[in-house]
Amino acid sequence: MTSTEPTAPSGTTASSGTTPATESSPATAPGKKKPPPATASTPATKSSLTWARRRSTVARFWASYRTRRAGLLGLAGLALIALLALTAPWTVGADVQSVTQAPGTALEPPSAEFPLGTDQFGRSLLGLLIWGARISLLVGLLAAVLSVAIGTLVGIIAGHYGGWFSTVVMRITDWFLVMPTLVLAIVLATVMSRSMWTVVLAIGVTSWPTTARLVRAQTIAVESRPYIERATALGGGHGHVMGRHVLPNVMPLVLAQTTLGISTAILTEATLAFLGLGDPTVVSWGGMLQDARDAGAVSSGHWWYLAPPGIAIALVALAFTLCGRAVESVLNPKLGVSR
Amino acid sequence: MVMVTKAPPRSASAAHRALRLLLAAGVTAVSLVAVPGTAAAEDDKSAGNTLTVAVSQSIDSLSPFLAQKLTSTSIHRLAYEYLTNYDAKDARTIPGLATAWTPSADKLTWTYTIRENSTWSDGKPATAEDAAWTFNKMMTDPNAATANGSFTANFAQVTAPDAKTLVIRLKKPQATMTALDVPIVPKHVWEKVGDFSKFNNDKQFPIVGNGPFVITDFKVDQYIKLKPNKTFWRGAPKFDELVFKYYKDGDAAVAALQKGEVSFVPNLTPAQAAALGTQKNIKVNDAPGRRFYALATNPGAKAQDGKAFGNGHKALLDPEVRKALFLAVDRTTLVDKVFQGHAVEGEGYIPPRFGSYFWKPETGQKRTYDPAEAAKVLDAAGYRKNADGKRVGKDGRPLDFRILCHATDPNDKAVGKYLQEWWGELGVGLKVECLDSVSDPWVKGDYDLAFDGWSVNPDPDYVLSIHTCGTLPETPKDSGATDNFICDRQFDGLYAQQAVEYDAAKRADLVKRMQSRLYDTGYMNIMAYPNALEAYRTDQIKSITTMPEAGGNLWGQDGYWSWWSAVPAASASEGESSGSSTNIWLILGPAAIVLVAVGVWTARRRRSTADDRE
Repeated sequence: MTSTEPTAPSGTTASSGTTPATESSPATAPGKKKPPPATASTPATKSSLTWARRRSTVARFWASYRTRRAGLLGLAGLALIALLALTAPWTVGADVQSVTQAPGTALEPPSAEFPLGTDQFGRSLLGLLIWGARISLLVGLLAAVLSVAIGTLVGIIAGHYGGWFSTVVMRITDWFLVMPTLVLAIVLATVMSRSMWTVVLAIGVTSWPTTARLVRAQTIAVESRPYIERATALGGGHGHVMGRHVLPNVMPLVLAQTTLGISTAILTEATLAFLGLGDPTVVSWGGMLQDARDAGAVSSGHWWYLAPPGIAIALVALAFTLCGRAVESVLNPKLGVSR
Repeated sequence: MVMVTKAPPRSASAAHRALRLLLAAGVTAVSLVAVPGTAAAEDDKSAGNTLTVAVSQSIDSLSPFLAQKLTSTSIHRLAYEYLTNYDAKDARTIPGLATAWTPSADKLTWTYTIRENSTWSDGKPATAEDAAWTFNKMMTDPNAATANGSFTANFAQVTAPDAKTLVIRLKKPQATMTALDVPIVPKHVWEKVGDFSKFNNDKQFPIVGNGPFVITDFKVDQYIKLKPNKTFWRGAPKFDELVFKYYKDGDAAVAALQKGEVSFVPNLTPAQAAALGTQKNIKVNDAPGRRFYALATNPGAKAQDGKAFGNGHKALLDPEVRKALFLAVDRTTLVDKVFQGHAVEGEGYIPPRFGSYFWKPETGQKRTYDPAEAAKVLDAAGYRKNADGKRVGKDGRPLDFRILCHATDPNDKAVGKYLQEWWGELGVGLKVECLDSVSDPWVKGDYDLAFDGWSVNPDPDYVLSIHTCGTLPETPKDSGATDNFICDRQFDGLYAQQAVEYDAAKRADLVKRMQSRLYDTGYMNIMAYPNALEAYRTDQIKSITTMPEAGGNLWGQDGYWSWWSAVPAASASEGESSGSSTNIWLILGPAAIVLVAVGVWTARRRRSTADDRE
């Protein structure tokens, strides 16, 4: 390192380091043209420049995403399911869960009144399926976010500090990685009280190691770049480097990881609920399957009770996977950028 | 310049991850619709006829001194003789190990004549000495009195003057002397046992017994195998082997029945019973049960040393609260919806099947479903609704209760849903806590309410004894025979009276008064008497005796009649019924088609982009 190294333009503080950081991010297709500067008519302030750049990044992301048919399909599916789930209070209403006001008789086959038949309490299964989407999606989202948050934190810290600390943290990560996730989640869900939050926690704390490993690797890669050294030389501390330089650069990875993680989380939630480890008093897809099993629907041949929640789980997991893969390939130029 | 020394690794292998996810989706979806098969050992297609019974309840202990659960006690019925037995026809007392019995004039000394033709499975004769030793052990060792101590608590002395005479001297008269449901164990085997609280009788097989069957093998939650006792005095059972095989999942058990892997399945759901009823070679038995299904409230758990323990809700100590809660339980709806008619609405403690002891509350006494009245009772007792519509006690503590539910019992969960809504309208919160094993919080008194149920014997002494003060644990650390920590002086007084009453009519009257008292306390609220819903394969079992013989049940009888009497069908081969698998494919079909389509589509996409990727 010599004094001939170009320094940051005068008048800027070390915090402006974010600018090169995001632009030279390995994940945003290096070599592409720079975002156009803010329109000449108004004097460019720092924040307007930032916003313009963000807008154009999003536009570029969308333009690239749009070319992926599978991703679009997944997104459309998700939008539809999310719309159904969000409007459920007005379309089916919370009363659909009520056993005392159930409109039908037990285990009716599909009919005009009940398109998917009824459950053992006489509740409409279509209504329950729509209502159950809320819990399944919510738990999936929360669990994936929790899992990725833990993974990102551990990964960045381990990658940044390195040395024996990193070794210890990564050995702990490895330990979680080799533990069968489902078994660990079952143990956690068993010892804690049965509620939605338990399931979120159980999935979250068992599925983070993959993210941690990926993020750590990315952190090491980012930190070996010269501008990090520059930032350190200008007085940027650990927090600054991790928060302002590394985090924005691992964000694309984290975003893709979250999208993919949601489908795993939804599947795990359904599995746990099916095994009777969820909250028995809330309606979720896995819980519906557990109810179906309790009613003996499998051996009685009541397919209309079993198939819809199972197919719904598979479709939502598929939609998230398609989206996740599309996001991943847009953000990571090494994965089929030509498409 | 710092060189880039570490290249960022490829962000996992996307292909693998997608594949894994797809597989996971497929596996989950398929396992969600398919019957989760148990890893059952289908290896021993041994010669002869095997009667396989699907069970789900775990064995608490194979030691007759400790076992209290229905599966365990049913198996002890098969493996050991009791002094007396109950007739399959009408449950009257008939000879068991004892052929005759005579009380003295003051009814304080009972002399039993022990049969000479009963031998232990190791060849030694079963004598009065064995019976005397069994009772003496229970009288002197509290650990041996864990399960059946209520029968021997009043014994003063038990002697065996000779091999065929047993003499029991009592402190006070005892009404259960011809209904001593105590398995008699062989002295020469059991006198070597050290600590009765630890010995579970499951290490050495075959287990020496003198019942119609001999326990030959046992694996926790997998199976219990029994072989017929060829020298059994009443005649050897007809099947060559009896296997109790564990199916923790009801659907798996029913699927096994449909495939002919098991011959008998108890505890069906209404939907399963309806579906099985239409199938060839399967007979569904829907009989009045001997169980009650109750809502138990924690009366403030106490030990005999007076120390209170547990964390039951204080508001439940108020009889008005208990009354209001039960007023808001609609038993007819529960029978109609949860049991779908396969139950009888709950009244008194003893099911109507035991006609002489069955009691019904009077019109004025009965807590008929009346939510408005329940609200009034709570208002009057000072539990008013606050701004959020929640009822709050004078101490400011809201009426938020927990209820212990058996995670393995679908009825508990279903009834829990109804209670939540009914009590929710009343302004009372309810948290349904479903556990695989409820005994831990139960024994510690850490519950507010609980789903409770007992199988009642023809002689009601035992099920009444578990609500007396005498069965409370010695100290908070111990566990007693008590069901629900009930300790009521009036109930105890009546219990003592009925225990010494030899006149059947007078005793029945006392038992009814006990039930009336129990009803009024509101500690045990009987919601229903569930029917026994069970099914067996007629191509494997030709005939089998129900108890009572007319329209009775098969599983959990007061005696060994069902399995002892079962006659194998002539061609007891594996009658594979294809009907069941058709049903499964109906379910699997759509799911499989969707999955295959998704898989093919994904694979094609993957191939089309493969060269771009890696």
